Amino acid sequence: MDRNQRNTSILHTLGEEIVRIITPVSICMLSVVILVSILDTDSSISSSISTIATIAYTEDTSDSEWDKFKGALLNSLVFVAVVTAVTFLLVLLFYFNCTKFLKYYMGFSAFLVLGFMGGEIGIFLIQVFKFAIDCFTYLLLLLNFAIVGVFAVFMSKFPIFVTQSYMVVIGVLTAYWFTMLPEWTTWVLLVAMALYDLAAVLLPGGPLRLLVELAISRDEDIPALVYEARPIFDPGSNTTVQRRTWRDRDRRGNPESQTTGPQVGSETVGSSQNVEEGNVHELSVPLIERVRDHGLQPENLGIEGIGLGSLGAIKLGLGDFIFYSVLVGRAAMYDFMTVYACYLAIIAGLGITLILLALYQKALPALPVSVLLGVLFYVLTRVFLEEFVVQCSSKLLMF
Amino acid sequence: MTLAAGIGYVLLTLGPSLALFVTVISTKPFLILILLSSTLVWLISLIVLSGFWKVFLPIKTTTWWPYAILILTSVVFQEGLRLVLWKGYKKMEDMLDAFADRVAKPRLYLTDKMQIALAGGLGHGVAHAVFFCLSLLTPSFGPGTFYVDKCSYAPFFLVSAIISLAFVTIHTFSMVIAFNGYAQGNKSDQLIVPAIHLIAGTLTIVNLASSGCIVGIPLLYIVALSTLAYCGKMVWKRLTETQIRLTHQNQ
Repeated sequence: MDRNQRNTSILHTLGEEIVRIITPVSICMLSVVILVSILDTDSSISSSISTIATIAYTEDTSDSEWDKFKGALLNSLVFVAVVTAVTFLLVLLFYFNCTKFLKYYMGFSAFLVLGFMGGEIGIFLIQVFKFAIDCFTYLLLLLNFAIVGVFAVFMSKFPIFVTQSYMVVIGVLTAYWFTMLPEWTTWVLLVAMALYDLAAVLLPGGPLRLLVELAISRDEDIPALVYEARPIFDPGSNTTVQRRTWRDRDRRGNPESQTTGPQVGSETVGSSQNVEEGNVHELSVPLIERVRDHGLQPENLGIEGIGLGSLGAIKLGLGDFIFYSVLVGRAAMYDFMTVYACYLAIIAGLGITLILLALYQKALPALPVSVLLGVLFYVLTRVFLEEFVVQCSSKLLMF
Repeated sequence: MTLAAGIGYVLLTLGPSLALFVTVISTKPFLILILLSSTLVWLISLIVLSGFWKVFLPIKTTTWWPYAILILTSVVFQEGLRLVLWKGYKKMEDMLDAFADRVAKPRLYLTDKMQIALAGGLGHGVAHAVFFCLSLLTPSFGPGTFYVDKCSYAPFFLVSAIISLAFVTIHTFSMVIAFNGYAQGNKSDQLIVPAIHLIAGTLTIVNLASSGCIVGIPLLYIVALSTLAYCGKMVWKRLTETQIRLTHQNQ
């Protein structure tokens, strides 16, 4: 069969962007689950955690369930209030054009996470595996790791693979620290953050919505830690960008490009019959004009701006990575069956959010659907599924 | 027994699926999404079944017929879900063909449709392996092991891994047979899939008897291998007759 010589079918390219965002989310969740399983024997550490999230109430295993729930609710309200206040502060600073300050703060927080949190987790791992290393070497390695990470996050000219990897590492480290919170506080906090995300992005007065609108109106990038799912090697990028530039030049009545049209009409890549001549130019001319187009006007590249990221890549905030991984990490502290169920629920939620993104074409909150589905599946698995499956499997009864 | 043994059990169950995944599915992102969705659908069906049976569990009697009813209801429910999946797949096929026309790419080939069915079946198989075998493997990563009274020939983890491997094969290829049967309206294909599932499920009831697994597991493998052979024969027949039809048209 000569199918190999024909064009590749749509199965090869459809869904590529979704898979490109699911892969790092899955890697982040897997790393947190592995970290939690390796380091989970320490119950003494969790009692000494005092963060903003436990300021109102420190969970005690001897409290009744209702007390724990009330305490957790109090903790989450405090946390959400602090996050709201900080986000409004962010919006205010962005409004007054203090973008440089925000960028420096972003780099500083990346350094804190990579240097201090990463360092502590590294020390835990060294303790567990009894790895022989002296503190000066460790300090040197850690410092280099953290500083390269700050540059990767800060500057946009870094190779995209390194930036993406550092984003995932920052997500893993922050998520692992969040899993050290007491159990009820974690679950109520996740639900509270999901509801906050929903309100902040969709309500007219929400801080995140204000931020996105400001950024779009000024045509700037939001200074935040955001994972951009661009491919590592993008062969299509040159032609796409040049297609835009060409189209702009054509509108200003560039006569030269018209004459090259008929010659290349026969080389069109696409085979749709009813394409007008203008489209024919678009598809084929970049093959010829590539030599001339190296002097790209930079202002045309700015058209891509925000929305779906440059060249249609999907952007997912690092906070979403963190909270998904916290959910899965907490599920891992109970049993692996809940991990699998919550993983599938979160991926399903992410898929639904991406479909909604394609439908509505505006910034959407990524937390609510996934987190609520994840919590639902965790509860269902713990209450129903586990007993059923253990009953069946332990008698070697399967279907 | 140790980390190595634990990883060994995981690979025993999921090894062939991993090979299938890496060679066939990982190159096409759409098939990865189909795999994830079908795994999710199987999980949801399992949750519904467990919700329904929660009232009756734990089964305290040592007779076999409550388990037979359990298996029967579960298989019937899952086969019904397969029909729903087929209807959903038909709608999706129409949307994909319309999309292919819009971007001027060729419509779905026959091999593409079979690959989608394979990905769906593999999703079901992986979900089975994960929930019935892998989720219970956590103790095997530690220093000890566990034996079941009724089947004391091998550690419990090994036996459950072997049974899961058979079921992964059955789920993967029966989806291809089922979708092909629905597409061609072939009644025998459509009926053989629920029959295989039911036979496989009831064969595991044999494991309830003392030393029953000596008989049950080889029979289960006979069912799995015959599913594989039947699927291979059917696919071969379909592909060669399509090619014959194409060459006749060209003449």
